[in-house]
Amino acid sequence: MSSPFTAVLDALTRQRGVRAGLVVSATDGITIDSNTHFGHDVSRVAALAASLYRKARKSAMAAGLGATGFMQLEAESGRLCLLGGDELVLVVVAARESNIGLIRVEMLRAAETLA
Amino acid sequence: MIRASVEPWIEEPLRKFVDDADVVLALLLLPSGQVLAQHGFTRAVDIMSACALAAAIQASSSELGRQLEGKPFAGLHHAGKVRQVFLAETQTQRGPYILLTVFDNESSLGLVRLYFDEFRVNLAKAAPPPVASPGVMLNENFERELNRNLAVLFGRA
Repeated sequence: MSSPFTAVLDALTRQRGVRAGLVVSATDGITIDSNTHFGHDVSRVAALAASLYRKARKSAMAAGLGATGFMQLEAESGRLCLLGGDELVLVVVAARESNIGLIRVEMLRAAETLA
Repeated sequence: MIRASVEPWIEEPLRKFVDDADVVLALLLLPSGQVLAQHGFTRAVDIMSACALAAAIQASSSELGRQLEGKPFAGLHHAGKVRQVFLAETQTQRGPYILLTVFDNESSLGLVRLYFDEFRVNLAKAAPPPVASPGVMLNENFERELNRNLAVLFGRA
């Protein structure tokens, strides 16, 4: 079943090294749509990523840095990339060797489409 | 001193849930409305009201689920402007328990559901074997048990 986010997520997950793409409700942390290449626990990733994004936004505001843009978390074997606004967060789970520049461009393009 | 639980085995799973999910209030109760553990409440009367309402809501929503889908609903969520309520049942070898939790913008429904799933597993693991059948819950027993549990939670026992 396709949703308004299917095309955006398809384009994101076509990028080399991208393992999963999710559109998540920023306030609820609930998955709205997702495209995963591996057996990720999507609802777990969505809830925690949205929480992380909300807290990062609050931290940036508290530090007087203004709105949060692209956010990247580097982990031992991959990356979590987040981009969002008040309502939606776009989440990408990518391998360590993925091209983060391309993923960022694709996420910014996706964010424009979703806006 | 306000204690977290009437039975010690409940304490750790509930504490972990409260810490991880970052909820404001949490209550663990029996389907009869008897309180077993709490977090965030400061008055016994609030716990009594919340338990009575939670047990009634759980009974009604479970029956509604059975009528509509042939099985009880997995959980109930109500979003207010500032705070949200999540209510769900969990099973252990000792029988069913109900968790009522209240959270604000520091948490989210996704987090609460995620950590409720973990709480379910942790509570089931921690539950000791069932004691002898408690028998029929009579009104006078209910009142006595409720008062005893509240006294334990609020350090009056």
